[in-house]
Amino acid sequence: MNPIVSVSPHVKTGRTTKHIMLDVLISLLPATAAGIVFFGYEAAVIVLISLFSACATEFVWYLLREKIWRDPKATLKKFVKQFDFTSAITGLLLALCLPANLSAWYMPLLGSIFAVGAVKMLFGGTGRNIVNPALTGRVFLFISFTAMTVYPAAKFGAIATNGWEQLVTGPTQLGNLLKGEPTLSALDLFLGTGVAGCIGETCKLALLVGGVYLCARGVIKWYLPVLYIGVTGLFAVALEGFDFAAFLPSILSGGLFLGAIFMATDYVTTPKSTLGNVIYFILLGLLTAGLRKATGIEVVSFCILLMNFTVFLIDLAIKARPFGYRREKKRAKEEKR
Amino acid sequence: MKAKNGKLFFRGLHIPDKKERSKEIPIAPFEPDEVSIPLKQHIGAPAEPVVSVGDEVKRGQLIGKAGGLISANVHASIAGKVTAIAERADGKGGTCIHITIARGAGGDDYLPPLATPSGEEIAERILQAGIVGMGGAGFPAHVKAKPPVPVDTLILNGAECEPYLTCDDRLMREQTEKIVRGAKYLAVALNAARTVIAIEKNKPEAIARFEETELEVVKLKKQYPMGSEKHLIYCCTGRKVPLGKLPADAGVCVQNVATAFAVCEAVELGKPLFERVVTLSGGGAQTPKNLLCPVGTPLSALLNEAHATEDAAKFVAGGPRTGTALTGANGVVTKTTSGFLLLTQAETKPDSSTPCIKCGKCADVCPMRLLPMQTAFYSAAQEFELADKYGGVRSCIECGACSYICPARRPLAQAIKTAKAALAPKKGGNK
Repeated sequence: MNPIVSVSPHVKTGRTTKHIMLDVLISLLPATAAGIVFFGYEAAVIVLISLFSACATEFVWYLLREKIWRDPKATLKKFVKQFDFTSAITGLLLALCLPANLSAWYMPLLGSIFAVGAVKMLFGGTGRNIVNPALTGRVFLFISFTAMTVYPAAKFGAIATNGWEQLVTGPTQLGNLLKGEPTLSALDLFLGTGVAGCIGETCKLALLVGGVYLCARGVIKWYLPVLYIGVTGLFAVALEGFDFAAFLPSILSGGLFLGAIFMATDYVTTPKSTLGNVIYFILLGLLTAGLRKATGIEVVSFCILLMNFTVFLIDLAIKARPFGYRREKKRAKEEKR
Repeated sequence: MKAKNGKLFFRGLHIPDKKERSKEIPIAPFEPDEVSIPLKQHIGAPAEPVVSVGDEVKRGQLIGKAGGLISANVHASIAGKVTAIAERADGKGGTCIHITIARGAGGDDYLPPLATPSGEEIAERILQAGIVGMGGAGFPAHVKAKPPVPVDTLILNGAECEPYLTCDDRLMREQTEKIVRGAKYLAVALNAARTVIAIEKNKPEAIARFEETELEVVKLKKQYPMGSEKHLIYCCTGRKVPLGKLPADAGVCVQNVATAFAVCEAVELGKPLFERVVTLSGGGAQTPKNLLCPVGTPLSALLNEAHATEDAAKFVAGGPRTGTALTGANGVVTKTTSGFLLLTQAETKPDSSTPCIKCGKCADVCPMRLLPMQTAFYSAAQEFELADKYGGVRSCIECGACSYICPARRPLAQAIKTAKAALAPKKGGNK
């Protein structure tokens, strides 16, 4: 028997990329469940179409790239071994930011194929994409189909205003807010009752539960989404002339929670260092609040997409500052002494 | 003295220590029939042989003379006859001259004991006895005992932050008095006002034993790599060693507890350093042990002693985080071999690596606050200067925390070591 020889360390953690991605999938379950409760079976169908087509895209792409016809069995085995659930996350995330509108069934299908095929696999697969696949898929659909601007309302009416009456259609609350029209109460916005919007973005409670799970499992750092949401809210307040009543509605409406907790924290499309991440999330918050005010539409996905392109620059600007490092000036001073 | 809590350092790792396998097993002497003593067991120049084949040697007799200022004497670890002086593979991929001694009759040949030695005499004795840093690096102790700048604090390193290893723990529990006396001699040589012993909290028995003595004890939180010199100094004294400088520049000297024990024996008994405690452990060892081995004990003899299981897949000399994987049990115990571990396939997880997902966990655990993923990225492209600029290669302490935590199982520590080796001629640390 020949012993294995390698460079130290000889022990490693048991937690691999697959475990992390499974954790992300689990953390999205509350939001998916809430979406299905609020928007009915249509939401479930959209989620399934999106999940399936995302995974199928990766499957087909992988088989073609690895030239399946040469050795089908080995290629299939290799696919199962390397499959790390990232495509499933992309599919699920994309479904969560689509309206539960069955007449537009082709949207999750096309969006997922675009997200996984063009954004992820074309650039080399997991870890090599430049922009967030799910978000880019959403933006692709948004600029291609008018169906992306019509949102069915939740099955349950708002607690505060309408009791439990059912709403048939409804404008998105963020639209109302930006136009200066009255919005629902903060509690309704938080629970998603009576709120029209995408499948996964309305119930902030479910998103928060998923976010807490992610933080507890050490997948994301709690301060990054908090920073994003906080900066967006405060800058919105500042833009409204320091009217603090605008704080809660501006952070609770639209896709900010979904974007902040699940989209913006995507590892691949954020800076590598902690300092870089803090800079990135502050800029993201400022950009979101500013563009929302300027354009009057929901821009979270566009902002994250825009900021994705700056990641490379942020990484180039940050250098390691090792333990025991002293700044030039301080060092010169000490050496003089 | 009552133990004080040490500081924490920023970042670092929390890993299962797995010391329970060999923690309660007392140190037992191990007596091989034949030893092969390498002449290079330390950092610096190899020693030069002063015996020839056929010579009868006594235990403790000088057989290799230090080959320069940064070098160390080598002594016979058993009495007997020199049967070979030849270049041999050391099991780590290199070769070195080994002096092979077959056990025979003959007594001990120790140096004269010193009753009330002065600092000069102690430093001289450390040099004669061939004592090196026994934590793993093997830096000749006499060089550290005569620092270029005055030192006011001596820290005894009893952190033993490597998993599995219990040799220092057992030594601290069984030889408390000798370690305390050894520390005193070292303090006299250094002219240090303060002497501290630093022990991680996962060794409560050792802490309790030292609390009974007059030595100042610091309890450290279990945090990897607490045993690293720079971090130990920060946690005990709050001082930071400036980049590219030595601990002496921060007014501190760090010595391992086993080194202090060796100093005590060298001063009081005149016994040169020719044996050390080796932990025999790992998931592949059915009978874990702590053995007092003569230097040069063949690892194959230890392998028999451990009763290796079927699935032992990796042999490691030293700890599992910084030790060296061996090509087989053909190496020998040296002055710095703190452990001989048999790791199973399940423990080492030799999976192939997957693409980097840029999660930043390596940077989150790096005790030196470097960016290992940047280093790996630039190192793969042979851009070593950029790797240093963005990742900070030169200040890496090679603790392996980044490789441990990486969810994509990427060989980050290896990439950094490659870059470090490529940058080696230019010294001076990250500026």
